[in-house]
Amino acid sequence: MPDSSAPAKKHNLDRIFYPKSVAVVGTTSVAGTVPYDIFANIVRDKFQGPVYPVSPGTRVIDCFKTYKYVKDIPDPVDLAVVVFPASVCHLAMEQCGESGIKAAIVISAGFREVGEEGLKREERLKAIADKYGMSFLGPNCLGVINTDPDVRLDASFARKMPIEGQIAFLSQSGALCTAVLDFARAKQIGFSKFVSFGNKADVSEIDLLNYLKDDPKTAVILMYLEEVRDGPALMAAAQEVIRKSGKPILLIKSGRTRPGAAAAASHTGSLAGSDEVCDAALRQAGIVRCHSIQEMFDTAIAMAYQPLPKGNRVAIVTNAGGPGVMATDAAIEDGLVLAKFSDETTAKFKRFLPATANIKNPVDVIGDARADRYQVALGAAMADPGADGALVIVTPQSMTDLEAIADAVSQQAHRGAGKPVYASFMGEADAARGIEILQARHIPHYAQPESMCRSFAAAYRFRAASQAEHVAPATFNDVDPAKARAILAAAARAGRDHLPQADAERVLAAYGLPLLGSRVATSAETAAAAAAEFGYPVVMKVVSDDIVHKVDVGGVVLDVDGDKAARAAYASIMSQVAARCPDARIDGVLIQPMIRGAEEVILGLKRDASFGPVVMFGLGGTFVEILRDVSFGIAPVPGDRAGAMVRETRAYPKLTGARGEKPRDLAGVEVCIQRLSQLGVDCPEIKELDVNPLLVLAEGEGCFVADARIML
Amino acid sequence: MERQEIAQRVKQVIGRVLKTDPAALGDEDNFIFDLGADSMQSVQLVAAFEEEFDIEMAEDKALQVQTVSGAVDFIAGCLR
Repeated sequence: MPDSSAPAKKHNLDRIFYPKSVAVVGTTSVAGTVPYDIFANIVRDKFQGPVYPVSPGTRVIDCFKTYKYVKDIPDPVDLAVVVFPASVCHLAMEQCGESGIKAAIVISAGFREVGEEGLKREERLKAIADKYGMSFLGPNCLGVINTDPDVRLDASFARKMPIEGQIAFLSQSGALCTAVLDFARAKQIGFSKFVSFGNKADVSEIDLLNYLKDDPKTAVILMYLEEVRDGPALMAAAQEVIRKSGKPILLIKSGRTRPGAAAAASHTGSLAGSDEVCDAALRQAGIVRCHSIQEMFDTAIAMAYQPLPKGNRVAIVTNAGGPGVMATDAAIEDGLVLAKFSDETTAKFKRFLPATANIKNPVDVIGDARADRYQVALGAAMADPGADGALVIVTPQSMTDLEAIADAVSQQAHRGAGKPVYASFMGEADAARGIEILQARHIPHYAQPESMCRSFAAAYRFRAASQAEHVAPATFNDVDPAKARAILAAAARAGRDHLPQADAERVLAAYGLPLLGSRVATSAETAAAAAAEFGYPVVMKVVSDDIVHKVDVGGVVLDVDGDKAARAAYASIMSQVAARCPDARIDGVLIQPMIRGAEEVILGLKRDASFGPVVMFGLGGTFVEILRDVSFGIAPVPGDRAGAMVRETRAYPKLTGARGEKPRDLAGVEVCIQRLSQLGVDCPEIKELDVNPLLVLAEGEGCFVADARIML
Repeated sequence: MERQEIAQRVKQVIGRVLKTDPAALGDEDNFIFDLGADSMQSVQLVAAFEEEFDIEMAEDKALQVQTVSGAVDFIAGCLR
């Protein structure tokens, strides 16, 4: 993980997005090549400033006088688009620097992505840029498009410039960009800025997010990432954008597989794969994660075209019963509720709709409905204070006037008083006539009611999350970092890769986590004595550096109730473990008080390569890896996130007293999560940590660490 | 063959392939950055050098040569 404390380079990205003049360095006169097409796109798409082709082998390109070197250009140049082969890009960049050019886009491939030699070339470009105070995008990218009429910059080799819009798209993959542009054009989706940032050697997605936060032309930011190099910086930038500008960030992060998780030494290590951690980090930052281009644009048009829903109560207006039911199912599954209409609204429906119409939600205006019925029904539904937005469904019958209905829907949407309207004109060939009108008028359109409901839910959740109170991570002053570090350092000096339970408990105690207490016995007699001292019943567990999962080898006996039973349990543990793990070194048997009626949860800590320390919470016990009912928070875990981690698990209702069970001390659990978070931040030596189980008593009675393991 | 003669013939070949004045070529001129050679012309240059000097050049290594003097050194090595 990069050092986030290093001062970030200041970029003036206006020179990339709003240059007054552009030089295309290394262009040629051969149409159909990247160097030529970029030059041609800039000219064809009417860049609002002078363009200078730099081409050592050519005198004239398309009536433009060329320059052998960028330094030969007599006028000031704001932006250089470098398209030379990778082997000579550094020469071009050096000349750009000498000429006082402060911004560049390096289109060329052949850098980090091709291996060691390419990485050296990339580092050379970065060094040149730093020497001259230049900022550059790329290398290995498609380029940049800014549709703002003030500049109209298409410095890319995309086929066509997109129409102007409010959506910014940032992509690590250049090839994906061209597919996205084609996809969007078919749906009349426009862009404010379109950026392929390639290898992000200098300008990164974090710099771009910071820039777009203040870009008045951008309302929604979409991003495609293949790798997160600095997770905390990405989270901080996203939070800044969302909290200060309210602009949603939608992200596709590819590479969701979990290599290496199988080799993890702890439950947390096994459960916290890189994608699970990434998922949690994005959620914590307020970023909406999408899993396909379709889903991303479905959500983006909802957020860019219409107001964000203030609540989750939807009115469904349809001319078809079946799709109305399908939409209802989807809405409920996505966490929406059907709005209950007021008497006034119901009276309007009765007055203006046919007697056969269904005037309850979903409102069925009947198959022969024309635009006037949609106008009335949608208008009444939108005006109802019990509805937070409307979903319109149209199926094309013989009398369905699709264009007029699309017109009516868009009229109602534009007088919607802050409530969103989405539409699903089902079908394809005939429906297209209405769909085109909706798309042109910025009514989010979905081929299926299900995607319409999912998008409404996503927009609602984003608004709810961005408006929620943010509670800063707690800082506990009663912790003893020096003591914890000393224990960890002693273990490291001894060459240990993990701490035995007793030492792990001392580290946790230094951070104020409540311990159950324990003692290690090395004979049946001392075991019985220790157990008697705690008071029966007790739990007995084998102590061995060589055994990770004690239950699996017969190393745990619960509910030991009496001296005789304690001696027998000791003997049983020793013989079973010896039989199943003959090579394991056994240091004795640990005795702990047995707490009846406690709920077992797991807490964990893991250091992620991209996001740093990660805290895990979930349903604990032996089956934790089978049930996988866990949630994650990136440390330092904010106060509101600690509570959300508990609520996100399927076990949450059980912990709050479902089916007559006692509500558990979840406030105590949240404190433990935050103390563990502080430990993770303070002690980078900890690679993985399991508290399994944390015994949670009834509300107000606390929770206790019953077993712990720390991996270094 | 003397290095000077090699250099003179190399510049003649470059002038022919890249359609430039051989007398104007500098020893440190970069085929791409200074002379504007594209990938096709780079391959043509290698073929022309092979014909001119009646040698066989390993194409992947030959294409890594970036300057006029680098080409002279490379061809001198092939002729040894």
